[in-house]
Amino acid sequence: MNKKIAIIDYGVGNLYSVKKALDKFSGNVFITEEPEKLLSADAIILPGVGSFQAGIEGLRIRNLIQPVKKFASTGKPILGICLGAQLLLSKGYEFGTFNGLGIIPGKVIRFPELKERIPHIGWNGIQRSNPGIENQKLKVNAWKGTILNSVKEDSDVYFVHSYMLRPDKKGDVLAVTKYGDYEFCSTIRKNNIYGCQFHPEKSGDVGLKIIENFIKLI
Amino acid sequence: MKKVRIIPRLDIKGPNVVKGIHCEGLRIVGDPTELAVKYYGDGADELLCMDIVASLYQRNFDFNILKSLAQNIFIPITIGGGIRSINDINNALRMGADKVAINTYAIKNPRFIKEAAKKFGCQCIVLSIEAKKNSAKTWEAYTDGGRERTGVDAIKWAKKAISLGVGEIIITSIDNDGTKKGYDDELIKGITTISPIPVIVHGGASDMGSFRKVAQEYNPDGLSAASVFHYNNFGIKDLKSYLNKNNVAIRI
Amino acid sequence: MNTKYGLPEKVIFCKKCVISNQRPSSTVEFKHTKNDKKETIAFREDGVCDACRYTEYKDRGINWKTREKELIKLCDKYKGKNGYYDCIVPGSGGKDSSYTAHILKYKYGMNPLTVTWAPHLYTDIGWKNFTNWSHIGGLDNVLFTPNGIAHRLLTRLAFENLLHPFQPFIIGQKYSGPKFALLYKIPLIFYGEYGAEYGNKIKENEVPTISSKFYANDVTPDKLFLGGVSAKSLLADKKLSLNDLNPYLPIKTKEAQKMDIQMHSLGYYLKWDPQECYYYASQNTSFQANTERTEGSYSKYSSIDDKVDPFHYYTTLIKFGIGRATYDAAQEIRNRKITREEGVTLVKRYDTEFPNKYFLEFLDYIGISKDKFWKLVNAGRSPHLWKKVNGKEWQLRHQVS
Repeated sequence: MNKKIAIIDYGVGNLYSVKKALDKFSGNVFITEEPEKLLSADAIILPGVGSFQAGIEGLRIRNLIQPVKKFASTGKPILGICLGAQLLLSKGYEFGTFNGLGIIPGKVIRFPELKERIPHIGWNGIQRSNPGIENQKLKVNAWKGTILNSVKEDSDVYFVHSYMLRPDKKGDVLAVTKYGDYEFCSTIRKNNIYGCQFHPEKSGDVGLKIIENFIKLI
Repeated sequence: MKKVRIIPRLDIKGPNVVKGIHCEGLRIVGDPTELAVKYYGDGADELLCMDIVASLYQRNFDFNILKSLAQNIFIPITIGGGIRSINDINNALRMGADKVAINTYAIKNPRFIKEAAKKFGCQCIVLSIEAKKNSAKTWEAYTDGGRERTGVDAIKWAKKAISLGVGEIIITSIDNDGTKKGYDDELIKGITTISPIPVIVHGGASDMGSFRKVAQEYNPDGLSAASVFHYNNFGIKDLKSYLNKNNVAIRI
Repeated sequence: MNTKYGLPEKVIFCKKCVISNQRPSSTVEFKHTKNDKKETIAFREDGVCDACRYTEYKDRGINWKTREKELIKLCDKYKGKNGYYDCIVPGSGGKDSSYTAHILKYKYGMNPLTVTWAPHLYTDIGWKNFTNWSHIGGLDNVLFTPNGIAHRLLTRLAFENLLHPFQPFIIGQKYSGPKFALLYKIPLIFYGEYGAEYGNKIKENEVPTISSKFYANDVTPDKLFLGGVSAKSLLADKKLSLNDLNPYLPIKTKEAQKMDIQMHSLGYYLKWDPQECYYYASQNTSFQANTERTEGSYSKYSSIDDKVDPFHYYTTLIKFGIGRATYDAAQEIRNRKITREEGVTLVKRYDTEFPNKYFLEFLDYIGISKDKFWKLVNAGRSPHLWKKVNGKEWQLRHQVS
């Protein structure tokens, strides 16, 4: 495949892991922090290991905020991973209040007080969000044609986070996950823009399938 | 439902994976990349790679080994050993690590935890504790690959580090390490009851039942082991199948 | 430049391990006086020491299957038939003797009587390992503790005159095997490692037995030296009685011959690897390494049962410029557990560390003051090895690199 896939280096990502997962399915994956290269790509990945503040600041000082927003408006696919997914939302509340990219309306908030240990670290299942009994048909097909296409319901993927995605619109919730009794959003989606709270590049075969699906969108 | 993780541990020394008893007598048991691939293929949930002589020899983790080891692995990797600066953490993450474990340097400079957690996010910073039982039924933390006493109470230190922002704890029982006589129940109980953050336990895994017992009684987030896997007592796949049959939430 | 102890003036370090040419070979202790010239480990022209040379030979030039067959043959010859002991294994319950006694009993079917010459001052871990040797390892043991008054006196004299506090222990340990062999009428004695492992003269290496000249002698008190002092004068000054001397005397040659005492090294028959001894002992006799590293080294499993032992290594550092870390690292390099580079780092980091932990206890044991201790230590530094920096601090002229 000759489609160009850019992994954005904004100073806080686990770039190597992401790249090697993508390399499995595409021959034209590159890491960049240059706006022009970003804009010229056919798809971009926003990886993520770090704090919200560090993340948005990393984008800012590299003058990448506008280019990413511009890319989002083109309709070309974006995959945000973990912190990268969180940055897609409007606001983040880690170590203070910060503006995110606002590409998908919503906020990034800390887990509430749970019996369970925080950060949420480990393998947990992703499920289709439940739009109500009338929309069961919708539910069944909810993942078709998305990056979760043909992924088995409740497949285990790897999470490591203390803050979670809270998109404003129910429709932007593609997958949910249960931590103890608490259900939170584990994947967001708006058109071709996806954000996975979990790390597909670290989720074994299931994760590789999701990455393969993403590439197929290009 | 969140699953408990089965985490094989690779103690790395130079180009080899080694294994000791009570953190001493490091015997060569294999090649890091080969073992990593084997365990990944066998269903490991995560890999723990510790350069256990980095602090002893005052040198750095060999990030080239990390890169090679991570090449064909698509599960999280935590590395540790000789991590002493923000730069070290950055290098580790860029070369394939997902989380970085710190012991010696953190005990000597606790503020470093705060700094690192702020920069990289707490979920990326793991506290590694090597604990040895005292006569007073408490545990003392050790450094430099289980060779130097610190006089610091291990559980108290864990609490402090949690308040400084560490995201996960790996606790190793020096008393049980390499002995295959079972995990250190009391130590595990001690840490899991006080920790609001995830805990991975290590040291003494003997048979499949020893994993089940700890998982069901103390609910740690991860069960780490080395000897039983390196010496082929049983495979990870069989272990997970056994745990699953015995109602332990595990990724199959 | 003047050198003490008859040591070679030029200091060379082995190219393969970290030992230096100052390392002393085994001495005949009962002749040991202040002005003796020490024999030291030999080096080849290519700068490799004899111990490393032996290791090369051990790795390539020995058919260990054949050697094991020889061991089995030896065991068959001596194996006890009516439940009585057929061999003596002197040792402390450390990793080496634990391995030696246990494997002889459980793999080779022998019935060893282990014999222990007590450490000067037992450490907790030493005592634990010693008792586990019997409780878990399943071995019969005789523990001999020499009369403390004499033992302490000799230790003090050895320290004062020879800067060698471990001498009484070494003497007793060497002779207790043969003494018990005579007493219990068990002619076969097994020691663990082979002298050549540490660089004792290569030509002694073609046979498994240790020459009787090392443990049998007809020396009379007037020719005998203990603590660097002639026994005759010790007796004359009423510091010791003839009775007190007993444990420190070698057996008589006639007695050794009459019973045909045979002292063998297990390391001749089975490839010797101290770390593997550790593993074996750990698994079979519940041997435990120390919780923290030993002062002066990085190691946790070597020689951990005597509080005086750290001072043995410290005085070795003073006299010969090489300390415990050097000895531990050299062995581990030869057995390929660590690289030379790692060994050098460890030596630099730990070799000159002072053993504080038992210092006061040691001073109390031998009855000297701190001042006297340092006076004696400083007088024992050879100028070719030590220099004074800033008028106060002593520094080694040479360290391995």
